[in-house]
Amino acid sequence: MNKYSQDISSLIDNELDDKTVINEIIDDAELQQQFSRYQLMGDVMRNESPDVDLRIDVTDGVMAAIANEVQFDNVVPFTSKAKDNVTSFMKRFGQYAIAASVAGVVVISSLMVNQGSITDPNATPVLNTVPFAGSAAPVSLEVAPSETKNAIKERNQHLEALLKDHQLQLQTQP
Amino acid sequence: MSERELDLQLIKRIQEGEQEAFSLLVRKYQTRVANILTRYVRSSGDIPDVSQEVFIKVYRSLPNFRGDSAFYTWLFRITVNTAKNYLTSQSRRPPASDIDAEEADSYDGSGALKDEENPEAILHSQEVKRVILNAISNLPDELKSAITLRELEGMSYDEIAQIEGCPIGTVRSRIFRAREAIDKQLKPLLEN
Repeated sequence: MNKYSQDISSLIDNELDDKTVINEIIDDAELQQQFSRYQLMGDVMRNESPDVDLRIDVTDGVMAAIANEVQFDNVVPFTSKAKDNVTSFMKRFGQYAIAASVAGVVVISSLMVNQGSITDPNATPVLNTVPFAGSAAPVSLEVAPSETKNAIKERNQHLEALLKDHQLQLQTQP
Repeated sequence: MSERELDLQLIKRIQEGEQEAFSLLVRKYQTRVANILTRYVRSSGDIPDVSQEVFIKVYRSLPNFRGDSAFYTWLFRITVNTAKNYLTSQSRRPPASDIDAEEADSYDGSGALKDEENPEAILHSQEVKRVILNAISNLPDELKSAITLRELEGMSYDEIAQIEGCPIGTVRSRIFRAREAIDKQLKPLLEN
């Protein structure tokens, strides 16, 4: 067992913050194979490869094909400072624009409310936050992820079915 | 590090000239790409070639990738377009309806193109699945539970630790031991 084996497992689960492990995997053919097999286990368990020939491994072919391609030495990565500067400027500009719009709406609304109170002092306020009848129920942002639960249930049922089928096959084999 | 962060980090490395980092992206996504291609490419013998073409296109397009969408969504679009181009080159019409990236993984393939040309491939794939599922069913309960909660339920180590009532380090170790046990059965099969 390689000392990085457990790190590969954690990396696949998105539970590893040590970026140096990626260097080790990239530089080690055996670790790369292990990475592929661990990935394959998950794909099979989740049934993400129902009609796929699992012998297919195009990694070597792809890497050989791109070996002669121009490397991206001159490409500015998407996290570049230049882009960040443009993004932050646009973000700040957008925030100012939104703030100005909201302020304008508030001013106009308050003017309209004041005009309304002069002409009709008994009229219902525009911004009436008190319900007409009963009491206000608390607002909850909790939304039941029914689809997710169903998907999980289906996956579990599928795995159970696969396991049962497999056990049945074992029993029927001579 | 989330899945998206890992992908972006690998892409950043490639964009900075570290070509070898691309191999991890290929290893990570090739089964999913092949699975999408089975919806379009009738002959399983063509899937490796079309898969390879997809990843070469992805590599060439990486300078244009800006990380606005998830890498998989972007990869999915390139895969579907490559599959359609393949069908056109074969003088076949693409399917009338498309699947999108969100439903690609859960698409059950009913009515999809089935391979009846390559029984050897089917047998081998069934054997791989049999070995993996057999290894899982023989795992001790605590390992089986940990790997199932992670791979099927998609839970984080922290969530699994709360359910199992054990430290995160134990969860990490159990999931790794489960994979190691499965790998002992799987590795010889794939090497042969």
